[in-house]
Amino acid sequence: MRTAAFFGCVLLADFLAVVFQGRFAPLPTLFGATVLVFPVILAYGALALPFAGTLALAFFNGLLWDALTVQFLKPAEEFSLDTPAVPEFAMGWSILLFGVLAVVVHGLRPLFLKGRWELHCISSGFCASAILLAEYLMITFKPHGLIFPRELWGRILVPGFFAMLLAVPVYWLFRGLATALGYTVRVYPTKARL
Amino acid sequence: MSRTSIIALSAFVVLVVLVLTMRTTAAQNLQRWVLQLVRPINKATTSTASQLDAFGKGLKTLDQLEREVRDLRVDNEQLRTANEMMNEKIAENNRLRDALGFKQRSNFSLIPARIIARSASTWWSTVQIDRGEADGLDSDMPVVTDQGLVGKTTTVAANTAYVLLITDENCKVSAYVEGSGDMPVEARVKGLISGERIAEASSPELSLNFLPKTAQIAEGQKVFSYGVAGGVFPRGLLLGAIKSVQPHELDLRATVAPAVDLARLENVFIVRDTREAEAPKATAVTPTPAAAAPTPTPGPTVRAAQPVTPTPAGRR
Repeated sequence: MRTAAFFGCVLLADFLAVVFQGRFAPLPTLFGATVLVFPVILAYGALALPFAGTLALAFFNGLLWDALTVQFLKPAEEFSLDTPAVPEFAMGWSILLFGVLAVVVHGLRPLFLKGRWELHCISSGFCASAILLAEYLMITFKPHGLIFPRELWGRILVPGFFAMLLAVPVYWLFRGLATALGYTVRVYPTKARL
Repeated sequence: MSRTSIIALSAFVVLVVLVLTMRTTAAQNLQRWVLQLVRPINKATTSTASQLDAFGKGLKTLDQLEREVRDLRVDNEQLRTANEMMNEKIAENNRLRDALGFKQRSNFSLIPARIIARSASTWWSTVQIDRGEADGLDSDMPVVTDQGLVGKTTTVAANTAYVLLITDENCKVSAYVEGSGDMPVEARVKGLISGERIAEASSPELSLNFLPKTAQIAEGQKVFSYGVAGGVFPRGLLLGAIKSVQPHELDLRATVAPAVDLARLENVFIVRDTREAEAPKATAVTPTPAAAAPTPTPGPTVRAAQPVTPTPAGRR
């Protein structure tokens, strides 16, 4: 029951992070990069929740993100209005991407449970930058081939840096919430020291 | 791996496959549903933010408010008069065009809308507006302000819609450069304008491509939409001003500063009925360095300096 309540809170935080993501204006002085909050929640969920919860969070996050960002466009743009609109990349790729990232981060859970909270910072930054890089590769590979201008790296790495900074207050916020809800993270059985 | 984990992983894989293999219409319906779901949240936060912003700017005195109302009434009367005169001119123009055997130009109706959210994505330039199918919106409708073209609608839900901004790489508009508008059709400097996904400048810019190598273009010249037959955008909408010109091997390319400050955009207008306004559809033409834009046909003339004339019917 406590796990379900905590999972519900993480899910709600993730929903709000995705919905309010657009409130963070791009930073013109930093290559037009944006502050991404939802990877911080995703990374925390992957570290704090059991495997099933991690996958459920990744699915929810990916579906919501795709639904709010993927654009359905007509291939010939201005010239042929009768052509049906198609998404720039199929809806659902983000679920797969977030799922893979969440599972990778979940692999660090035993260390996180031992009190290594800095893993949340590192994995948040990693998730934010990896998501942006993967999205860029998916949308540019087909029309242009792979081009990596300097500004691109700024747009990919700066959000990762901001996600790492954001991870600290988010970690303490969820820690307080977990305590309030009486949620204790189940520790994996560890081998006795030799 | 525990049994629960295996079941969870299997369920996840099945669900991912189901979503990935979803039909485009189903995916778009899902997007509409999510847009409709988040609309109240976005609208409420936008209105709260506006109220806080207004409060922050300070309360006005009764005298100030009275003066403002008086000024607005004068403006309103001026605009109504101008509108009436323009309607008469349009009617006269249509009669003359009819006499010459040309297709009549349309009167457009404008649907006002408010931006309730901006794109959450780094790679797409979109905004969400508070109008949808219930207000007569459809996909691929031009969106403007008094300053110029903003973009076009994409996914439209019941009470909300997405607008793809002109700064997005996918929003391509056939355009011509100021000064060449009065020239014969074949002599105009035409090109294809689009946004840039990775802009080098701190503010978003547009890229005007496929300009003829011999074109004489100077900095500051204005760029307008060309209004191709069967296209999305009517002719004469202001897009921006030339910032710089770069010669390439086969053509010229120009950087254009957008006319509309998209970062501060709050209210927009959706132009209705442009599709019916166009003459019979011409064959789609892909611009080439030699011939930048397809053959134009008589279409609606809508300029930012002389905004679209809203009419009650909004039809031909």
